[in-house]
Amino acid sequence: MAAFEDTFQTIDMLQNEHLDVRAVNMGIDLFDCADRDIDRACKLVKEKIIRHASPLVGACQSVSRRYGIPVVNKRVAVSPIADVMAGHGKDELIQLAHTLDEAAKEAGVDFIGGYSALVQKGMTNSDRALIESLPEVLSQTSRICASINAASTRAGINVDAVFLLGKILLETAAQTAEADGFGCCKLSIFANMPEDNPFMAGAYKGIGEPETVINIGVSGPGVVKRAIERLCQSGQCTGLGDIAEQIKSTAFRVTRCGELIGREVAELVGAEFGIVDLSLAPTPEVGDSVGEIFEAMGIAKVGGPGTTAALAMLNDAVKKGGAFASSSVGGLSGAFIPVAEDSALAKAVEDGNLCLEKLEAMTSVCSVGLDMVVLPGDTSAETLAALTMDELAIGVINKKTTSCRLIPVPGKKAGDRAIFGGLFGESPILPIPNETSDAFVHMGGRIPAPLTSLNN
Amino acid sequence: MKDYILTVMAQDRVGIVRDVTTALTSLEGNITNVSQTVMCGYFTLIVSVQMPDERTQLEIRQAVERMGSVGEFEVNVRPYRQANSSRPYKSQHYTLSMMGKDRKGIISRATAYLSDKDINIDDFYAYVLDGRFVMLVQVSVPENVDVEELQTELELLGREYDLLVHLQHENIFRATNEVRPVMDLQRKN
Repeated sequence: MAAFEDTFQTIDMLQNEHLDVRAVNMGIDLFDCADRDIDRACKLVKEKIIRHASPLVGACQSVSRRYGIPVVNKRVAVSPIADVMAGHGKDELIQLAHTLDEAAKEAGVDFIGGYSALVQKGMTNSDRALIESLPEVLSQTSRICASINAASTRAGINVDAVFLLGKILLETAAQTAEADGFGCCKLSIFANMPEDNPFMAGAYKGIGEPETVINIGVSGPGVVKRAIERLCQSGQCTGLGDIAEQIKSTAFRVTRCGELIGREVAELVGAEFGIVDLSLAPTPEVGDSVGEIFEAMGIAKVGGPGTTAALAMLNDAVKKGGAFASSSVGGLSGAFIPVAEDSALAKAVEDGNLCLEKLEAMTSVCSVGLDMVVLPGDTSAETLAALTMDELAIGVINKKTTSCRLIPVPGKKAGDRAIFGGLFGESPILPIPNETSDAFVHMGGRIPAPLTSLNN
Repeated sequence: MKDYILTVMAQDRVGIVRDVTTALTSLEGNITNVSQTVMCGYFTLIVSVQMPDERTQLEIRQAVERMGSVGEFEVNVRPYRQANSSRPYKSQHYTLSMMGKDRKGIISRATAYLSDKDINIDDFYAYVLDGRFVMLVQVSVPENVDVEELQTELELLGREYDLLVHLQHENIFRATNEVRPVMDLQRKN
C-alpha cells in the first residue's frame, strides 16, 4: 500500500479539492464516411459515431467508480468536417451538423467537436462554406463545437479568414441574442491548433491521429491552489521556488490520474490511448479557479502587476510535473484563463482589475488565449478581427497555440453582465479601447510566416 | 534446525530490537524475517527465526525475557507451520477508507461485513484524533465479487454510522504516489 499519508492526500484531493478528470474525449476518424450523396454521408457519419461513442459513457462511469474519481465530461471529436465534406455546400454542411448533433445526443456525450476548418494559408470552397454555415449551426444545434485554425507559425495569419470570422461572430451572436450571444462560446479561432486537444470548443481529431483515440483533459486548479495554501500556512515556504516544487508534485499526481483513467477507458472501448492534456481547466465553481491560484501565490488583485509572472511560473511548473508523470502528454497543456468560466477572473474584471490588454499579455505565457472574453454588442467585425489577429500573432511568433473565444453580446455594453450558465459561467463585458484598426484589417491578405531563426 | 515465530510486546524504548536479536543470536538462532510496529507508545515485534534442534520454546522465551527488566517484555514463541494462505481464486487490491465521527462498533461491523464477503484484510490502520475516526484498510477483493455492489453496501453501512466511506482500487493511490510508470501498474493487472 502507498504510505498512509500519501493515501490520505490522494483521498483529500478527490474529496475536498475538486480533483477530477475534466474531459474524456474520443477522437473518431470520419474520412471513410465521405460521400457525394449527402444523405448517405449523414447516415454513415451517424452510424460510425454511435457505434464507437455509445460505449464511452458506460466505460467512463465504470472506471470512475472503480477509482473513485469523477469524470465530468464525455465528449467526441471528429475529423475536420470541412475536409470530410469537401465538395458539399453550406446547406449540406448544415444538414450534416444536425446529424452530428443527433449522433452526439444518442451516444450520450455532451459535446462533439470537429466542426472545423484549417485555413491558415487559404480557404477551400468547403472551408468557406463551413465558416459561412457557423451562425446557423451554432444557433440551431446544442452539442456542436466549432474551431477554425486561421494561423500557424509555418503559414502566418490568414487575415481574410479572420475578417470573415469577425463577421461570422457578429452573425452568430445575433442569432443567439436571447442567450447573450451564446453561440460564440462554441467557436474557437486558433493559431497552431493542436490535433489532439481534448478540450472544447477546440477539440478535433487531427489528420495524423489513429482511427479512434482517447484523449484526456485533467483538471486541478483547486488541487494546485490548496497545495500552495498548505505550504504557505505551514510557515515552511522558503520562496517561489518552493511553490514551484509544490505545483510540480501536484501536477504529477493530477497527470497520473488522467493517464490511469485514459488508458483503462481506451482499453474498454477498444480505442488507442492518445494523450493527457495537462491544462488547468477552471470551472465557475468557487475553489476551482486559476485566478484563485494567483491569489494563493500572493497576487492580491488578479490582473495587477506580477500576474503574468505568476502565470508563467504556474504554467511552467505544471508542465514539468506533468512531463515527468507521463510520456503521453499533449494537447494544449498549459493553464487556461477563460474569463467567464473562472469565477475569480470574472470577479477581477468586475472590480476593474483585469483588462483586455492584461489578458492578452497573460496569454503570451500560457494557453489558450483570449478565451471566453465577452465584449460589447456593437463591436465591429473589424475590431473582432483585429483583436483575434493580435492573439494569433502571439501564437505564431512564439511557436505556440493561442486561440480566441470572443463573444460580442447583442444589445449590451461594457460593464453589463453576460450570463451563459453551467460550465460557461458569466462575466461582465470588457471595454475595448482604441477601436481604430479598420483600415489595417481591410488590407486583407496574409501576414507572412515569421522568421524562425535570429531568435534574440 | 527448527523454525519458530516469536512476538514481543513492550512499552517502546531505544534498544528493544537489539535486546531481542542479541538473545536469539546467543542461542545460535538465525533470524529470517522481522517486522515491527509502534502504536500509542507501545512496541510490537514479530520475528521468524531458525534455531538448533535442541533449543526449546521455553528456553527461547526466557532468553528474550531476561534481556528486559522484570515483566518488561511480553514474549510468545510458537513453532512455525507453513501458513495455508494460498486462496483458490484471483483477487484485486482495493483500499477501503472510512472517516467521520468516532462511534463504538464501527471496526467490528465493517470487518464482519468484509469477512462475510470472503474479503481478506492485507493491511489495516485506524486511529481516533479529537473524536474524528479514520480507518484505512487494504483488502483483497476476489475477482468474482461485484465491486460496485460492494461499494454501494459499504457506503450504506457508512451512512448508518455517519461515516464517509470509499472503496477504491489501489492503482489510483499507486499511480498518484509512486514514480513507476502507470503502464507498469496496468501490466501487473
